[in-house]
Amino acid sequence: MAIWLDASCILIVFFSLAIISTYRTVGMIRVFALQSFVLSLTPLFMHADALSVRDATLFVGTLALKAVLVPYILTWAIRHVSMRAETKSIIGLGASIMGGTLLIAGAFWVASSLKLPGTQVSDLIIPCSLATVLMGFMIMVTRYRAVTQVLGYLVMENGIFLFALSLFDAMPLLIEMGILLDIFVAVFIMAIVINHINEEFESAPAASSYSKMGESP
Amino acid sequence: MLIFLILMPFLCAFLVFLPIGKKSRLWLLFGVSSIHAVIAGSFWRELPPPEFSAYLTLDPIGLIFLSVISFLFLSVSAYMIGYFDNEKRDGRTLVACLLFLLSTMTLVSVSYHMGLMWVAIETTTLFSAPLISFHRNKQSLEATWKYLLVCSVGIALALLGTFFLAIAAHDSHTLLLPELLAGQGSMTINWLKLSVIFLVVGYGCKMGLAPTHSWKPEAYGQATGMVVVIMAGALTQCAFLALVRVSQICFKTGLYEFYSSILVVTAVLSLIVPAVFMLGERNVKRLFAYSSVEHMGILVLGLSLGSAGIFGSLFHMINNALSKVVMFLTAGSIAQKYGSSRVGDVRGVIRAYPVTGIFLLFALFGGTGMFPFATFHSELMILNSAIMSGRYILFVIAIICLALIFTGLGKVVLEMVYGEPTEPILARKENFMMNAAIAVSACIMIVLGLWMPEPLKKMLQDAVSMIGA
Repeated sequence: MAIWLDASCILIVFFSLAIISTYRTVGMIRVFALQSFVLSLTPLFMHADALSVRDATLFVGTLALKAVLVPYILTWAIRHVSMRAETKSIIGLGASIMGGTLLIAGAFWVASSLKLPGTQVSDLIIPCSLATVLMGFMIMVTRYRAVTQVLGYLVMENGIFLFALSLFDAMPLLIEMGILLDIFVAVFIMAIVINHINEEFESAPAASSYSKMGESP
Repeated sequence: MLIFLILMPFLCAFLVFLPIGKKSRLWLLFGVSSIHAVIAGSFWRELPPPEFSAYLTLDPIGLIFLSVISFLFLSVSAYMIGYFDNEKRDGRTLVACLLFLLSTMTLVSVSYHMGLMWVAIETTTLFSAPLISFHRNKQSLEATWKYLLVCSVGIALALLGTFFLAIAAHDSHTLLLPELLAGQGSMTINWLKLSVIFLVVGYGCKMGLAPTHSWKPEAYGQATGMVVVIMAGALTQCAFLALVRVSQICFKTGLYEFYSSILVVTAVLSLIVPAVFMLGERNVKRLFAYSSVEHMGILVLGLSLGSAGIFGSLFHMINNALSKVVMFLTAGSIAQKYGSSRVGDVRGVIRAYPVTGIFLLFALFGGTGMFPFATFHSELMILNSAIMSGRYILFVIAIICLALIFTGLGKVVLEMVYGEPTEPILARKENFMMNAAIAVSACIMIVLGLWMPEPLKKMLQDAVSMIGA
């Protein structure tokens, strides 16, 4: 099953690159859902010869929270907003893809000097998760919109999770589910804040939005 | 007992959503905080046994922290009873979120597994975010957004750091603290170093250490006084507790030199940044927020200076919380009375509200570490340990920054207290509960500044020897 694991690692990096090079917010959310789906499969590929309850729970948990609920909530958050169509990137499409490619190269270069102790299932896990984390950062930095920033954060989390799902027994299942749930609630609260922000900003002229930052009664 | 302490506030938080009156909601919060405080106080007599196969363990370090948050919630809940006398809103979300926060912070102080600790700290972030936009307007939403995003990303990096730690401790197969410390010999140093860097950056974000402090002035400027006390006194110190745990690991693995060099850099930055930014600031809440960045810098500085510094640092953790009560609850009273916290709108407080005026002076002197307040005592310990370890340049930088911060804060606060009142104010009565809550903290701060009780001293020494210095 190692070949499947390698394939899903590469797919996850490709999807990150695809998110970077997508303009439409809805499109970005869909690609993210696909990425999370592939991510949720990795624990199954990881221990294909001896599947445990733990792998199955992680698969179901990741699939339900990250691949279904989170994209759904994000779509809900942008439904009422007129800006649905596209989000500008600060540095433009070509430069974004170039940047993403450089980040992948950098991640592989760094990972070449980081060796995992103990037995290793796939060489690709560390470089791919690093690359995904870095690209998540890049999405957060190069996009203006609140929703795309959340997406950047989520891509980053997926990168971190690629690490977690594949590597250890140090985390008991309960804590790993706690981590998943925390991320889900974070996105939920962010979506609510986005909704409130939209309401506030549509009812008042935008020019004064930064004028009295830090004031409160 | 520990699990009861965690679950009780959590379950009571759901009671808040029942159709009960505003008053009973506030008394519920006060009751829960009191029970919490009584139980936490009883632990000083004897530490409770570990629970859930040692995932929940209360040790001296955790106990000091637990007592601090328990006291903070008690003060805030007493203050809120007075505050909501003059407030139209029903504060349902506020009370519920505070109870959830009490529960999760208790979990932080007793969690003995680095993963569980991460989960608990992330949960505190989530429950505190709705509190910032208590005054629902554009600026407070922006502040909430900034806080959520910066802290979530920071905490995500800490998660990565936690996973790196798990790789480093590959042979122990667990992140339980005692087993990590026992298996120090087999740790992979390179991965451990990487993990330490990520943990410092991640939890540093949450603590509001410079250069990732940017959410602090916005969030503290927008949130109401009671909330900021919890954020500045307890929430940020949750992350500090995590850094203390990391230092425990670093001491055992001989990585303390490396760890302390990272901490010194962030500490110095966190002293310089507020010193520079405070000089032009006119809003007292934002000023206090920068002062909070400075205090976090001092805490981290103490942590990097060996055993004497760590002793001072743990003591400063208590004093910082007390000073935050005085500072932000007073700022909250002023904001409620004047409808603003800018120095142009608020002047001559001492004539209109003598008691609040005196508290504002206490906030200035306590917050900047003047004699006889306890902050003076602990800052002196930390600076002293800098000199004893021969770091004279560090000492000079710290002194200059502290002096600048005093100037920046003093200029605004003194103008607020003694300045010519801009317009005649409708003198509302001072509220007894509000003032009592502030007065208790101010008194404890003065007492601790003059005399350290023997049990506290022993507990601090136990904590320092646990860290391994």
